[in-house]
Amino acid sequence: KSGQSSSSISPNKNVRRNLDFEPLSTTALILENRPANLPAKPEEEAQKHRQEYEEMVAQAKKRELKEAQKRKKQLEDRCKLEESIGNAALTWSQEILPNWQSMCSSKRVRDLWWQGLPPSVRGKVWSLAIGNELNITDELYNICLVRAKEKWNAFVAPTAAAETESEDAGLSHADREASLELIKLDISRTFPNLCIFQQGGPYHDVLHSILGAYTCYRPDVGYVQGMSFIAAVLILNMDTAEAFIAFANLLNKPCQMAFYRMDHSLMLTYFAAFEVFFEENLPKLFAHFKNNNLSSDIYLIDWIFTLYSKSLPLDIACRVWDVFCRDGEEFLFRTALGILRLYEDILTHMDFIHIAQFLTRLPEYISAEKIFSSITSINMNSKNKKWAQVRIFL
Amino acid sequence: MQNNRKEHLYKILVIGDLGVGKTSIIKRYVHQTYSTNYRATIGVDFALKVLNWDSETVRLQLWDIAGQERFGNMTRVYYREAMGAFIVFDVTRPTTFEAVSKWKEDLDSKLTLSNGQSIATVLLANKCDQKRDFLTNNSLKMDQYCKENGFVGWFETSARENININEAANFLVKHIIASENDILKSVVPDTISPQLNSDKEMTCSYWLSLD
Repeated sequence: KSGQSSSSISPNKNVRRNLDFEPLSTTALILENRPANLPAKPEEEAQKHRQEYEEMVAQAKKRELKEAQKRKKQLEDRCKLEESIGNAALTWSQEILPNWQSMCSSKRVRDLWWQGLPPSVRGKVWSLAIGNELNITDELYNICLVRAKEKWNAFVAPTAAAETESEDAGLSHADREASLELIKLDISRTFPNLCIFQQGGPYHDVLHSILGAYTCYRPDVGYVQGMSFIAAVLILNMDTAEAFIAFANLLNKPCQMAFYRMDHSLMLTYFAAFEVFFEENLPKLFAHFKNNNLSSDIYLIDWIFTLYSKSLPLDIACRVWDVFCRDGEEFLFRTALGILRLYEDILTHMDFIHIAQFLTRLPEYISAEKIFSSITSINMNSKNKKWAQVRIFL
Repeated sequence: MQNNRKEHLYKILVIGDLGVGKTSIIKRYVHQTYSTNYRATIGVDFALKVLNWDSETVRLQLWDIAGQERFGNMTRVYYREAMGAFIVFDVTRPTTFEAVSKWKEDLDSKLTLSNGQSIATVLLANKCDQKRDFLTNNSLKMDQYCKENGFVGWFETSARENININEAANFLVKHIIASENDILKSVVPDTISPQLNSDKEMTCSYWLSLD
């Protein structure tokens, strides 16, 4: 029987050549009689095979039709999405950006902002929203970059022994410019799968320059792991000097400064405030984490240091950045609660190590709609107190 | 769950300077894979390895701790309850070896077992598939170094070429079990609790029975 059914899928090239359409694999089944040198099938069996064959073809056609409809629907959805992105891009570039000061806090703009910034204006909006309180100029960036390059050259020249000496000297807390050396090790480990920041990649030198210049601009902070991810996301959305200015101003925000300067007691107030909102929004999960001795720093450190750019898919991370630029640090912690809420059912069935693994390595595919609707349902009011008030009193 | 297998849970730290290959070693050990595409670890990452050890089950909870020295204040709280550690350095970068003694001192000062001993620690000379022209060529010297610095042993490893990773892990587990037996012998079995310099009541190992 199996021999017969395989002989009905003809390997015969002559038959193929006669077909005037390009067959899809499933409709390329052709029913043939047995070769002439074999006894013919009994009529009854032939009839049965014909019927089976027709059923198979009918099913395949049905499946193909369904798939074609699905493809059409996907295409339509994509066109619709592209159209809405195109419309939004027009609104942002022609209406909102020219009137930024007067419009940026209007309800309409804020609503549009929540839906995600179109990539074409994203960098511009981020720059405007982050601002430049530090009054950094392009010239200052260039001066810092020159200093960084001088330092690098000084590192490269000496022998291994001298290198060690200078690194030891760098450990004095006053001057962290020595962390320049660490930058090299981390650059190629920043979004490695994008293949653009690695040695020889198009943005390798840009990332190197921005991190180096920052280390010379703020030697008291220096380079801290996590910074390379933030600088990389900025580079993907704006040009070099703009990215540097946004980077320095972003790190100057209270929450980022607390983390990047490793101000331990201040960081603890952030974790504690987060736990207040965690307990109120997700009491069951909060208790489960407590029972498993899983403290929030285990996952928040990675999330806050990299502003989710390492743990969430990049397109979703950018949307988190969008609203972070609009709402400030509170949104980072709201996002964390949104993630926990989204996966609450899975997490409540896990033990310590599995929760820790899950949260430090979130699923690669996350639906933007699902995560944002989960974030929306998080209430950032605790007994009539907002995030900032709660944190200050801790 | 037909038999009463005894189950051990051990927390193991993987520490060492930035970029020495801690994450790569863990991925090789747990997932049998290697990639040049690992991202820098921020804070701490986790992995779980389950071993059949004689007739028992050993669960290794691996804590992959960020290498930058400045994360130390935050990440040192993660030392507690650990029963073993790997300290990793990169044989192609001498400065990462010089940092080994700092990591070891730091570890010993933050964490001791209830009998006052430091936890079993194995030194890994990683990236041994690459060129190296110092020190690990001289294994006598390395043995001496381990003795002086309180390592139970050392291995040349390569996460890329899968050299000595399993051997090193088995070696560490053997020493953890031995040190645990020492503790059991020296104290009343019901009150095993390691002394933590910062924290008082922590159990260092969990003896569970599966029904």
